[in-house]
Amino acid sequence: MNGRALHFYLAGINNQNFLMRDQETGSWWQQITGKAIYGPLQGAALDLVLSDELTFGEWRSESPSGQVLAPVAKYTKEYDSNWEPDVAKLPVVISFPGTELKSRDVVVGLSINGAARAYPWETLAKQSPVLDRVNGTPLLLVLGPDGKSFRVFVSRIDGRDAEFFLQADAGSDGKQWALVDATTASQWNFQGCATSGFSQGKCLDRIPALKDYWFDWRNYHPETTIYKH
Amino acid sequence: MSASPPELNSGSTELQSTNWHPMYRREANRPSSWLWTVFWLCAIIAISLFFVPAFIIRPFRHQAPRALLLAMALRQRASVGTLIAGVACFIFAFALWRNAGRWAKSLIAIALVVVTFSAVMARLNYFEWMFHPIDGPQFLAQSDSKLDGKEMIMAVRLGDDARAYPISQMAYHHVLNDVVGGVPIAVTY
Repeated sequence: MNGRALHFYLAGINNQNFLMRDQETGSWWQQITGKAIYGPLQGAALDLVLSDELTFGEWRSESPSGQVLAPVAKYTKEYDSNWEPDVAKLPVVISFPGTELKSRDVVVGLSINGAARAYPWETLAKQSPVLDRVNGTPLLLVLGPDGKSFRVFVSRIDGRDAEFFLQADAGSDGKQWALVDATTASQWNFQGCATSGFSQGKCLDRIPALKDYWFDWRNYHPETTIYKH
Repeated sequence: MSASPPELNSGSTELQSTNWHPMYRREANRPSSWLWTVFWLCAIIAISLFFVPAFIIRPFRHQAPRALLLAMALRQRASVGTLIAGVACFIFAFALWRNAGRWAKSLIAIALVVVTFSAVMARLNYFEWMFHPIDGPQFLAQSDSKLDGKEMIMAVRLGDDARAYPISQMAYHHVLNDVVGGVPIAVTY
């Protein structure tokens, strides 16, 4: 923030999205938005760093020299590999009756110049790759070969909108997994880069997206639409 | 059947003879009533500074926007506020102590304990008792990690540095301060 590194710590909970404070100024920050909601830095916002939610296997093959956060020995008992079903059982404190989704439905949420849209995880899993358009931007939402990792790209090659589909003989083991674009018939990998064909060497632009519970996404994006197929 | 009334009687005469009732003392010592008022005022301020935000920001409860703002405002001022109000409390308690009866003394003692508790808690981050932070995170080369290939991770790549944060770990620690590719980042889950 303004050239100064801030260090954050957990400071509370706001309708099941946590609050953190920074050691340097004591300001309060909302996790999901990265905005300071109280204290000396109120109104400031942290820059969002592009990140991925991947399986370890997918990441391992993409980042051979990458580093993994080591488990802290004294807390390993507390780590829960089964966190998703466990958290899904917890009660919710805010709900949005009248919307098509249930509070604990998992969505992939994205926002482009203020226009937010939520993609139910179940729909993505069934239909991947999904082509959509938000605020004029053509989007490609795709689950990885493992069926658990996901990424969102701008589906534009050299400034022209493109359509993508899954390579027909992708195979169930994911080894032959590739996307093919309808314009240049090139093959694209899950990192959004063309590996063969006319577009080889080109990469699609990424769009930050958040896997979240519907209630939390809706709470911070009241104007959000829901993707329908 | 006829044994209880005499017992009650003897009880009440005992009350009067031992002079323990605070009201009784207050009647006898009118000038101290303002002292009582300021003592309780300090105690309530010190106690509220911790308990009101703690009550508002509790898990599995709805936080209304205005209540949350109040909670953050109080918590922001709690460490200084509880110290000032707490010290004042002790000073007033000291002044009251000599003329206080047994009941009054126990009330003062209880109030002081709760006030001290509030002042201590206002300085501690009890959320980190539930979810311990990682200070100085350690990293493994991916070949040394025992993580299963199916486990979910959060990944960041900045410059030449690629980092993976297993979600099973982040779902417990919630916040992690790290530097990747020279950029200070806060990883949250």
